[in-house]
Amino acid sequence: MDKDLKILIVDDFSTMRRIIKNLLRDLGFNNTSEADDGQTALPMLKTGKFDFLVTDWNMPGMDGLVLLKSVRADPDICNMPVLMVTAEAKREQIVIAAGAGVNGYVVKPFTAVTLKEKIEKIFDRLEK
Amino acid sequence: MSNEETPREMEISCLTQAYITRLQSLDVAIKSNDEEAICHIVGDLTTLRESSLYQELGMLTREIHDSITSFGNDERIAQLANEDIPDSKERLNFIVTKTDEAAHRTMAAAEEAMTVMNGLSVDAVTVLNRWSQFRNRELSKDEFTSLSDQITQFFESVVVQSSTVNKQMTDIMLAQDYQDITGQMIQQVVTMVKEVEEKLVRLVAITGLADAPPASKKEESKAVNGEIAVGPQLPNVDKKIVVSSQSDVDDLLASLGF
Repeated sequence: MDKDLKILIVDDFSTMRRIIKNLLRDLGFNNTSEADDGQTALPMLKTGKFDFLVTDWNMPGMDGLVLLKSVRADPDICNMPVLMVTAEAKREQIVIAAGAGVNGYVVKPFTAVTLKEKIEKIFDRLEK
Repeated sequence: MSNEETPREMEISCLTQAYITRLQSLDVAIKSNDEEAICHIVGDLTTLRESSLYQELGMLTREIHDSITSFGNDERIAQLANEDIPDSKERLNFIVTKTDEAAHRTMAAAEEAMTVMNGLSVDAVTVLNRWSQFRNRELSKDEFTSLSDQITQFFESVVVQSSTVNKQMTDIMLAQDYQDITGQMIQQVVTMVKEVEEKLVRLVAITGLADAPPASKKEESKAVNGEIAVGPQLPNVDKKIVVSSQSDVDDLLASLGF
């Protein structure tokens, strides 16, 4: 896995962004940026500078599901791997996220091991 | 009539007695073919029936009126709406701020401590490598002198850095003091919510239970469009529709071909 991967972390809570950033750094990913909702994140993603998106679902402005759908609808970035890290834990919601094309789904609260597993799984599958 | 009869029982037996008296007169009147008396007694019976009905109706009306009046006069409700609810909003906002501060303070201390520990670890590896070289007799006398200085410096820095990390650990511990104050505030809000709930239940009881939806409809009315994020779920409250762990999520995704 390429550790220089540029990762965008999207969450409305700065504490959660900080936790994810620290965990990613522990996993060797130092190249991260942050955004506080989909509206801020989407233009950043459209610059084409990012390789991987980690997003929350429930956010003011544009939520994570709309962001995911917007990414999939844009031909330039539609192949970007997306990991959802969210407190939304209803079965119905997970099915919807899967239908919208999410690559991985982690429910909060989560552990460093879970995050690592899901990221590795996403890239394993992409490399195949 | 025994003395132990309740007023209600007495009332009933009086009523029964009144009916019996009239029915007996009616019997006499019918047998003697006294049409005028029959009409009079039947009229009497009807009046008797209606008066007891109106009495019951009157009592019910008074009960309802009293309930509504006492509810309207309940100063506590005005106080809840004007003071306690805005106050609770303030409390909840304060809790959000306080927990946010604590989380950042904890993370800042942890991040600093990690940096210090990483530095120590790097230094230790350097000193260890040099020490191994010395033990393998690979160092000259001058090199050993420099290693000796390096070791001294390393120990000194361990002393200083340990105390730094110790301070950060203490800070992490102190940052958890929010739990005490926010815990108490949350309890105050819970008490308030419970009181409002009780008042609402009373209101529902007064305005008529017939219109209240049966308990089984609870889930239906709570069901929302799955595309709308609703935030964290309480695992024990929303059991049926919520996954209980990451492995549940994984199983669900696996069943969808992930």
